[in-house]
Amino acid sequence: MASATGGFAGKVLRVDLSTGAVSTESTVERYLDVLGGTGIGYRVLWDEVPAGTGAFDPANKIVFATGVLAGTGVPCNGRTAVTTIFPTCWPKPLVGSGHMGGQFAAKLKYAGYDALIVEGKADRPVWISIRNSQVQIRDARGLWGEGIRRATLEISREMGGECAVAAIGQAGEKLAPMAIVANSVSHSAGGVGGVMGSKNLKAVAVQGDGAVRLAGDKGEWERLVKFHLSILGGNNQHVVPSFPTPQSEYYNPGSRWVGEPGRRWGAAEPPVEITGNIRDLNRIAYRTNSAAFYLGANAWQYTVRGNGCTGCPIRCHTIVKVPSVAAKYGVGEMGQNTCAGLLFGRGFFRKLAAGDKSHTSLEACMLGMHLADDLGLWCNYGQLQRDLIKLYYDGTLKAKLGAKEYDSIPWDKYESGDPAFLLDMIPRIANRQGELGAVLSQGTAGLFTAWSITERDWSQDKETAYWKMGHPKHHANEDDGQCGVIINTQYNRDAQCHSHVNFVRNGLPLAVQKRLAAETWGSPEAVDAVGDYTPANVYKARRAKWALIRKELHDSLGLCNWMGPWVASPLKERDYGGDDSLESKFFSLATGLKTNREELDRMGERIFVLHRALTQRDMGEPDLRSRHDTVPDWVFKDANGAAPFSKGTTRMDREDIAKAMDLFYEVMDWDRATGAPTMEAYARLGLQDVGRRMQALKLTPGTRG
Amino acid sequence: MNSAGEDWEEAAAEAVREASRQGRAVSAAEVLEALAARGFDVTSPDAGEKAEAALRAHAGLACFAGADGAARYHDPALLSATYAGIMDRKASPTLLMAEEIRANSREYPRPVPVELFEAEPFGLTPEQIGDALRAMAENPAFEDIAFTATSTGAVYLFSSRSLEPGYAKFLAEHAQNLAMNP
Amino acid sequence: MDRDFDITRIREAARAAGMGEALSRRGFLLLSASTAAAVTALGLCEALGADAPLVILDNAKGMILADPTRCVGCQRCELACVEYNEGRSQPSLARIKISRSLNFGPGGPGGAQGAWGNGLVVQGVCRQCPHPVPCATACPNDAIRLDPATGARVVDGQACVGCKLCQRSCPWNMLVFDEETQKTTKCFLCGGSPKCVEACPADALRYVPWRDTTREAPARAASLSLITPEKTASCLECHVPGRPGTVTK
Repeated sequence: MASATGGFAGKVLRVDLSTGAVSTESTVERYLDVLGGTGIGYRVLWDEVPAGTGAFDPANKIVFATGVLAGTGVPCNGRTAVTTIFPTCWPKPLVGSGHMGGQFAAKLKYAGYDALIVEGKADRPVWISIRNSQVQIRDARGLWGEGIRRATLEISREMGGECAVAAIGQAGEKLAPMAIVANSVSHSAGGVGGVMGSKNLKAVAVQGDGAVRLAGDKGEWERLVKFHLSILGGNNQHVVPSFPTPQSEYYNPGSRWVGEPGRRWGAAEPPVEITGNIRDLNRIAYRTNSAAFYLGANAWQYTVRGNGCTGCPIRCHTIVKVPSVAAKYGVGEMGQNTCAGLLFGRGFFRKLAAGDKSHTSLEACMLGMHLADDLGLWCNYGQLQRDLIKLYYDGTLKAKLGAKEYDSIPWDKYESGDPAFLLDMIPRIANRQGELGAVLSQGTAGLFTAWSITERDWSQDKETAYWKMGHPKHHANEDDGQCGVIINTQYNRDAQCHSHVNFVRNGLPLAVQKRLAAETWGSPEAVDAVGDYTPANVYKARRAKWALIRKELHDSLGLCNWMGPWVASPLKERDYGGDDSLESKFFSLATGLKTNREELDRMGERIFVLHRALTQRDMGEPDLRSRHDTVPDWVFKDANGAAPFSKGTTRMDREDIAKAMDLFYEVMDWDRATGAPTMEAYARLGLQDVGRRMQALKLTPGTRG
Repeated sequence: MNSAGEDWEEAAAEAVREASRQGRAVSAAEVLEALAARGFDVTSPDAGEKAEAALRAHAGLACFAGADGAARYHDPALLSATYAGIMDRKASPTLLMAEEIRANSREYPRPVPVELFEAEPFGLTPEQIGDALRAMAENPAFEDIAFTATSTGAVYLFSSRSLEPGYAKFLAEHAQNLAMNP
Repeated sequence: MDRDFDITRIREAARAAGMGEALSRRGFLLLSASTAAAVTALGLCEALGADAPLVILDNAKGMILADPTRCVGCQRCELACVEYNEGRSQPSLARIKISRSLNFGPGGPGGAQGAWGNGLVVQGVCRQCPHPVPCATACPNDAIRLDPATGARVVDGQACVGCKLCQRSCPWNMLVFDEETQKTTKCFLCGGSPKCVEACPADALRYVPWRDTTREAPARAASLSLITPEKTASCLECHVPGRPGTVTK
């Protein structure tokens, strides 16, 4: 391949905390075939971290990696993948990635680095200072014990206010597996905070002033960026608004495109009213308001503005100002986050008195954001909260905790839905206080290991939303039938894949979705109406493969898989089609390496298969199909006893799912019996070295003794 | 042509576009009124027919049958058929709700939350919505309009012509849970 | 430096440049289309000498107006500024300034604005200052000149020697130094259709007719204006020490 002349910052930075050594290597020379992001992360773990390494062992490495398109004007970039041996993965830790947005990725690129590999363990608390080519390991003893907010402030005073600080809070310091690293107030990567803590690494701060070069013609670049903007919808690429409007033929009350003309950012000073044409590219930022989507229209009055990642016009981290919460609970009046982070506090309560969109709900969300994003506690996509609910209401907590500890918890507030309960519970878990804190801060894995609860207890119960390996489902059969199931079998944490769900939830009528499906995946049968599922077919398997590959591609290019891919658009003049080759067009222009959709997808597949090999190697398990790619029992049940494929159930059929997996393994070129990649697959993807190693380990098909 | 030398057909199309910009689809009769105001002679007995024919033939315009049965014209680039239809039916909350419920059940398919009709562009009061639902219950022409309630008590409306009650209930529950399934 | 000529011709030229009576007598190297023409017609260039120090610039025609309450901190304006002009992604080089206010506001760490404060991001935009234009006056090489199309004060890359004195002279820290070219650059209004305005997804930027906004916002920093003796002499030719607002006859 010709040499890249743009896109890449150029270097991968390596910091050994044991020796203090700082070095760099060429990104393109060493990592071009895995692009960046998770690709670099998996490659480093494959090459350098031996099987059996524990998450908190000094031999584990943590790779902060972004990609070619981060730091550029490509809409919806700004992502950093944080890859490491993942501490919440059960029964043994395996590779996993947390993903964060914010300013960190862009700053790292401007400083000249595509990735940062941290290895070893410092002998005292430290933080890493990166100012362009100047890299220093700094003393963090004075910061240890502080929350993320104060740590960020102190470091910013030293580095200057423009830097991006990715810091851990008390949870990470105390080696809670359920810990985050966070930058830019609210942008966090889950599960990796404890790994930083285990290395005595409080934070990584970056200030970069340099450029990301663009190899292609600047005019062509500008046109492509503008085209991309034109096919954007609202958050999660919901391409129809939530309200009828003269500018749109379709709408969907469930859409995250909620910015209707007439709505106001009520807490801006003075308030900003949304006016004009919702399709106007100078008004894209008003389309999304996560607070209003999750908390109801009432949240508009508390909205200051949208916030988000570098270069992204979809501002999904809504900033809200709620002085009444500050006064009532003694916390800050500002809050910002999105999705699971926004819902962190509310999720603990089985039921809130006035419902999920009440003021009480808003208060719970404010408290949750304030506490969790400072203490650095992760929610494992809501599993922490669901676990607490189940453990409390089924009496487990009363049985497991000593009376003194149990009685010290304000359960009366919990039962009455008083958000003040969170002031006790969140610090208790983050600081790992008592037995409850020690166990819940390990994630669901803690319940299985410390309290001898069986995984079956969780995987039988749909209410837990538990999937496998200590983690929950993430857009599975409840959204996307077999496609969702396949995707949820593939990772060692919750799947974190949105390629598929962004399509099925995009708000277009089923007939339009089916037409686009036929164009993209070869048949309208690639997609079903939700809850009206048809038996498995090869087109669904292809779509699952596409979804997974695009997830890895986005995670390796610095793009946001919460927004992409862009198969659909709001544009009637394009018959609501987007452009599925957008990523490759941007990649070609940025790097100067001419590629197309198929070629770039092959690189994405290579990265995905590297994750597969790494998983299999570290499990030491020839049969991934039955030992890894598992589906919880609740998927095959229906509360009302409805049969699979009847209208109105998400219940799947065991034989059909087995067939779906057969088809998936086939389209992946993996062994049907074991789900292991074949030597041919490794060779086709340029992973011969990985294949040979797997063969030597007797982990490729047909090599079992 | 009028005294300003404007072309009749183009002026008629412009009248439609102007109404579209204001969020309204218009009948041929309204177009003639607009033309008269611009100095065109619209007194000939076949003026109405001529206008209908010209508007129908215009490549940039679309039409649909309005609530009163007469054709309504709009420029879909400025005013979507969906929105135009809603505005056309606003005078009758019953028809407005029923047609919207049917279209949603048929096309997407999905039931719609009853609160949808309180928001713009529907803008109905809870009383109007209640009255319309009662009127539909008593009128066989609306016997397909049905409702389902989620476990949290949210009410969703659907048309049994396109959605089975069990599926509608499922979809309502699914829609209600979207905000708890980020 | 005694260049004696008819003061009425200077006054006419000053009026043509919209500068009224407050100053005159000498000192023009006016590059805007209208006043350059006036100057030429009046024979001022000849009167002053072609190498006369650059002191007075005609007012700009347009400027970028920013609404902080709408800014969503996405930096798309900064990226558009550099990507579409220089063909690289480098917010530090942007001629509109967002990054520096994103986290804490212009006050820096501990400040009450930005994402860690009240959310407000105050954009930094070039005010296209009226005479005396700090950056142009500070330039020892007269490299900051007028774009005839917009009246923007633009850095002539050929003439810029990279001394950064202009940077130190701007009260709002709006000039940036490009390490790659070793030249300073500043907002040049993209010839009249600013890329940043076009790129803003929140309608927070507008391109509007120029007016003097230099007294409406506090300076970010004390500016350092080192002015060459020749330019100082030029100033004194119009402005009499001890008699502000008057001109010598």
